[in-house]
Amino acid sequence: MLKRSFTAVLEKNSTFCADFATEPYEVGWATEARWFVNVLEVGESVTLRLTAQVSPDGLYWCDEGSPPMEIDRRGLASMPLANFGPWLRLKGQLLDQPGCVRVLIYLALKE
Amino acid sequence: MSSLRPSPLRAYGSDPRLSKYNPLARILFYDDFDEGMNGWCELVGNHAGDLRDIRKMALDFRPPQLSTCSYFDIGTHGSMEGTYSLKVATRNQPNHLAVAIKRVTSAATGLVQFETYFAFKAEQVVRDRIGRLPGQRNWDGNAAPSELQFGEVTFSNDICSTDPMSRCHGVVRYRNTDPGGNLVQHWMYPTTVEPTTKMERMGLVKLGHPNQDFFSLAPEDWKPVPNGDQPLCFNETASKVNWHYVRWLFDTETSRNVEFQCNDRVMDLSEIEVPKYDEPYHGLPNLLNFYLAVRTHTNVRNFLYLDSVLVSVDW
Repeated sequence: MLKRSFTAVLEKNSTFCADFATEPYEVGWATEARWFVNVLEVGESVTLRLTAQVSPDGLYWCDEGSPPMEIDRRGLASMPLANFGPWLRLKGQLLDQPGCVRVLIYLALKE
Repeated sequence: MSSLRPSPLRAYGSDPRLSKYNPLARILFYDDFDEGMNGWCELVGNHAGDLRDIRKMALDFRPPQLSTCSYFDIGTHGSMEGTYSLKVATRNQPNHLAVAIKRVTSAATGLVQFETYFAFKAEQVVRDRIGRLPGQRNWDGNAAPSELQFGEVTFSNDICSTDPMSRCHGVVRYRNTDPGGNLVQHWMYPTTVEPTTKMERMGLVKLGHPNQDFFSLAPEDWKPVPNGDQPLCFNETASKVNWHYVRWLFDTETSRNVEFQCNDRVMDLSEIEVPKYDEPYHGLPNLLNFYLAVRTHTNVRNFLYLDSVLVSVDW
């Protein structure tokens, strides 16, 4: 059988005006992952910092350790991950508030 | 209690994966979630390229997950057979609904049977993090307070024939609790149609109830299925996962449900009217879709797990 893959859209055209975290997503079957963040709108003075987080149980979280993405313009950005355990989420922080971002957030998983 | 329609073939008895099921003559698909998603995906509201056009209640049905059923107290529970199950998960927001869907079409009309082994759980609540929730204060060591934090599971189809045009959703829901947090434990059916994007855009319906239900025009448009009072095995702790057998038979020739079975309870649905749409729908000939939905009434995430799914037909 070909190796399996699955892409989850965890945020769909969502607007954030404060710090946030994506919903817990189970990834125990996957060996590699890549976050894609499509920034559709971003406030003039806002920088969006995105940090990958991991969890053993979907309840308690810590940073995965990869350098965060920092985005201050529209467009697509991505972050690869490996050796991440059973759960992933993305922590979002809005620097230089006030301001908002509108985003699509994908989690692309592969065996 | 025996089935009202004991039609299954026993030719699969030697296959340990299939012998737990009771398929009709032809297996249309068998989904073992140890092998992947098998075509189950997030339902999304209709749009024409601009996500801002999606109705708010159909924007956020959440992507399904392949779950190991892992918990903070025991680690991995696993599925009924193998490691992975299909998981449909809500957000931790009252009235949030998550829906997964699988889409096929019919090569003929006739009987269709959906079978699965499912489990349902509320997300574990760690007391030192968010304090006590309803039911925890008087915990007797047996009845799980977590059970009161689980809302509803809904099984639905979406079928459409063209000659004459007839579209409907056969829907069966297990109402574990009501929005007030009271234990109900009853199978239910809707008395009105699922409000569609077309109905809203054509001004045929006005929605906006704060507790709006995706599967009916109004939240109160539900009736109990006769003989549908059935406490299920939630078990005593949020990390104890017990799998339940479901068999749901419906007829695409008559656009009616036939019967619904959960474990040893068989419910006759043949006399219950399935609401039909008055307006025509384009682009849906031979539609045969299957929905899996879970709704929370509280700020606790609700999870629906399926070990596997088997759909069979008599054509």
